[in-house]
Amino acid sequence: MTLDELAFRLNDFNGEEGTTFDALVTEQDILEVTCSNNDEFPIHVTQTDTQILAVTPLFNISEVESGNVDELNAIFLRLSPAVPLSSIGLQGETYILFGAMALSTRFEVIAHELEVQAENTIDVLEAVEHLLA
Amino acid sequence: MGVLKDLMQAVRGGANEVGEAIVDANAIRILEQEIRDAESAIASAKQSLTRMKSSEIRLKRDLSTLAADIADYEQKAISALNAGEEALAGEVAERIAELEGDRDDKAGEQEALNNEVNKIHAMIKARERTIQKNKRELDKVRTVQELQRATESVSRNFAATGSKGHRVSQALDRVKAKQQNWQDRMEAGEWLEGQEGVDDIDAKLKAKGIGTSGGSAGSDVLARLKARQSG
Repeated sequence: MTLDELAFRLNDFNGEEGTTFDALVTEQDILEVTCSNNDEFPIHVTQTDTQILAVTPLFNISEVESGNVDELNAIFLRLSPAVPLSSIGLQGETYILFGAMALSTRFEVIAHELEVQAENTIDVLEAVEHLLA
Repeated sequence: MGVLKDLMQAVRGGANEVGEAIVDANAIRILEQEIRDAESAIASAKQSLTRMKSSEIRLKRDLSTLAADIADYEQKAISALNAGEEALAGEVAERIAELEGDRDDKAGEQEALNNEVNKIHAMIKARERTIQKNKRELDKVRTVQELQRATESVSRNFAATGSKGHRVSQALDRVKAKQQNWQDRMEAGEWLEGQEGVDDIDAKLKAKGIGTSGGSAGSDVLARLKARQSG
């Protein structure tokens, strides 16, 4: 499935819990997905030869209260295994929540994964909000 | 080569700024070249295999012809011996020895050919492993590149907002407010549904003349007031 096809089907999707998506392919050829359960932190979807990658940039390291970075990292390391379907990572200076799926993943599974990732974003941010500037 | 180790070295070396190439482009070219080399080596090995297979078929045919010839001459030699033709039998024996030499040569050739085929099969397997390994390594590199691309545009916005303070908290508050709003609407919807149910029951009761009867309300009040006056 190309990113354009995925965008088309996501825009048409209506989840069991009333979740809907706003999906568009940017000029940089990244699929930007906003889930109705969290419209503040969009998910960026791209592909490699074997995987679909779903990335939600959370915040920059500079947004962490100085002196709190070590504690934040430790919390994230402990938290990551507990977060369903998504992992927490650092890309450059930006903390990200990300999920990876095989290219052959069925559309319904992709939609579910994106829905969960949007939900996870709120949970994860709530857990570390007190450490941010 | 392990791409992950190179990646970490690059990050430690400070190549973690947005837009900066984390992965050495040269390393990617080498991986891609190795994949192409291995693929063309496999293609030519498969061609050799085809050629060898036809040689093998020819050798097998020759060998079975020789075996048949040898058996035939052996039979004839025995017949000659039985007929007391010792000299003729000797000549046939010479012929058999010649054919057997020929057969041994061809058998040797066939064995060498088999060894060669096995070697080529092993080589193809090894090359295929190289290809798979390099493709996995390349996919790690691509993953990193894609993660970088997918993160880049948004993290630029983080920097561009200027007033970084409480950006995340504010966004969280907005999301939670919306979710609360949605929750409230859901509850309101449920309440309304419940009310409609109650109204239904009242209407049904009234229709059956059960419960409050409007007509007697006034006389009830009057009776209550009279009772208070006398009391």
